Amino acid sequence: MLESVTASHKVPTKLVKKSTSQTKYWKPYQTRWNLISLLTLVVAFLENLLVPAQELVNNVTYRWFLVAYFAYLTIVYVAGAVVHGKVRLYSGHFAQLNASIGILLVIQDLLTEKYANIQQPFFVSFAQILDQMKTDHALLLASTWSSLGLWLVSFVIGTIIGIALGLFMGRYRQFNYWAFPYLKVIGIIPAATWMPLTMVIFPTSYLAEIFLIAFSVWFPVAFMTIGGVQSISKDYFESAKTLGFSESQILKKVVIPGALPNIFIGIFTAMGLSFTMLVISEMIGAKVGLGWYINWAKGVGNYTQVYAAIVIMAILFSVIFSLLNKFQEYALRWREKTN
Amino acid sequence: MVQLAVENVDRVLDDNNGQKINVLEDINLNVGSGEFISIIGPSGCGKTTLLRLISGLDTPEKGRVEVDGNVIDQPDVSRGYVFQHGSLFPWETIKDNISSGLKATNGRNYDKKLVDHYIELMGLKGFENAYPHQVSGGMAQRAALARSIVLNPELLLLDEPMGALDAFTRADVQDVIQRVWKQTKTTMILVTHDIDEAIYLGTRIVVMTPRPGRIKEIVDNPLEFPRKRTSDEFLQFRRQIQDKLNF
Repeated sequence: MLESVTASHKVPTKLVKKSTSQTKYWKPYQTRWNLISLLTLVVAFLENLLVPAQELVNNVTYRWFLVAYFAYLTIVYVAGAVVHGKVRLYSGHFAQLNASIGILLVIQDLLTEKYANIQQPFFVSFAQILDQMKTDHALLLASTWSSLGLWLVSFVIGTIIGIALGLFMGRYRQFNYWAFPYLKVIGIIPAATWMPLTMVIFPTSYLAEIFLIAFSVWFPVAFMTIGGVQSISKDYFESAKTLGFSESQILKKVVIPGALPNIFIGIFTAMGLSFTMLVISEMIGAKVGLGWYINWAKGVGNYTQVYAAIVIMAILFSVIFSLLNKFQEYALRWREKTN
Repeated sequence: MVQLAVENVDRVLDDNNGQKINVLEDINLNVGSGEFISIIGPSGCGKTTLLRLISGLDTPEKGRVEVDGNVIDQPDVSRGYVFQHGSLFPWETIKDNISSGLKATNGRNYDKKLVDHYIELMGLKGFENAYPHQVSGGMAQRAALARSIVLNPELLLLDEPMGALDAFTRADVQDVIQRVWKQTKTTMILVTHDIDEAIYLGTRIVVMTPRPGRIKEIVDNPLEFPRKRTSDEFLQFRRQIQDKLNF
């Protein structure tokens, strides 16, 4: 064993950790705005309660929603005022946005339910949508689960195929020579084009749907993965060789992590396409799912149900998006933050 | 014991216009065990190419590169290589980088104590879990050095590892390299364009000239250790090497 080599630099200075919440929540905390946002919700509640309605709507769910929203904001603000830290930054940052949501709730309620400025049945109040969601909750929940399951299976299959093809095409010239021209020609075809064929070819419509969604995913993922592999600096491959890495170790320790930033770009592009394909394929061929629900509601002319499904999709897809975003942040934590 | 022999080596590359360039021409070099060879020359003299031929990352058109009589045709863990920009894997922590070669060759049961030892030795304690972009250039180079030396190579090839560092950090890393060399007795070959660095570290100085890349002269370094960069002998020898480089 050697003696210590470095005379200088013995005491390492502490790593400077940038506070991410400080850059993320940049709006300053102002008690004024926090109170205004609470006030807008009070106004929304009173307006819904006191202004006479033109249309027959069950407002119970909406009012509970407003109460819950009010309670949530109060908790956040009180916590932020007492505890100085992330909660305070969060509550301060979003106070203005929350106030605007309160105002929007008042406006939409007045325009639809109260004065009927915009016509039913194509435009409905948020209160009506919430009431519909409550009435239909069993079917909507089942549809949501079904859509989520279908999307997850298809997206995972498409992503795995895309990454595998991309890695091999990026890494091996021979494979690239034989596969890439086909990838380019087949991959550029919009997945929806295959719809008439898949309905006949696949034994069940569920398999056809999986195929269509996975098809919309694999191409952008594969394409970005190839670019990712090819953008890895030659130095890393050479280092790996002088360090005694085998080919499989190079694949695992150099190629995959090196291509990962690009793979994620591909995955996020594919995600949007997969949502589109999910809804389209459910509208056409399925007997379950949110897409089917919308199509069915349209058929019976209940546009409130259409809105209900849209609201659920907005929530579902946002949650998926932010989960994937969190996963990306974790997987690429080694990257230098640019901001 | 390692004996490196470079015999009558030529390396020809195509330039962008399709013309042949003699990057290296008729290179002959013998390196004995425990030596520290400094290869110095202006940019474009093929010194990095020579180092790559020795590592096995590149192969010559003509001539042979041998270690103990075995022709080198591919990289091997017995010949460590420290790149100009370190090339630490940015997606691995300092500790994972340093242990990456051991993991690759020994699997999961690699010598974790050895890794800790080198982390301590290179002054990287407290930074084990930092990613390369979070540490200074000097630290990154010390980590890159540790990553190669931890594999206990017979030959360590240093490709201008201090080239991108500021003067103070450079002197610090030079001292680290010198002490590692003295204590491990690893044969080292350093490529540099810094005369002081070549003289401070090398037991022999290989002076190269460009277009075509040739060895002009191989000079024994008369300076005793410990060397002082400001001593009269040092400055005198420096002038001597400087004169050889003015062609």
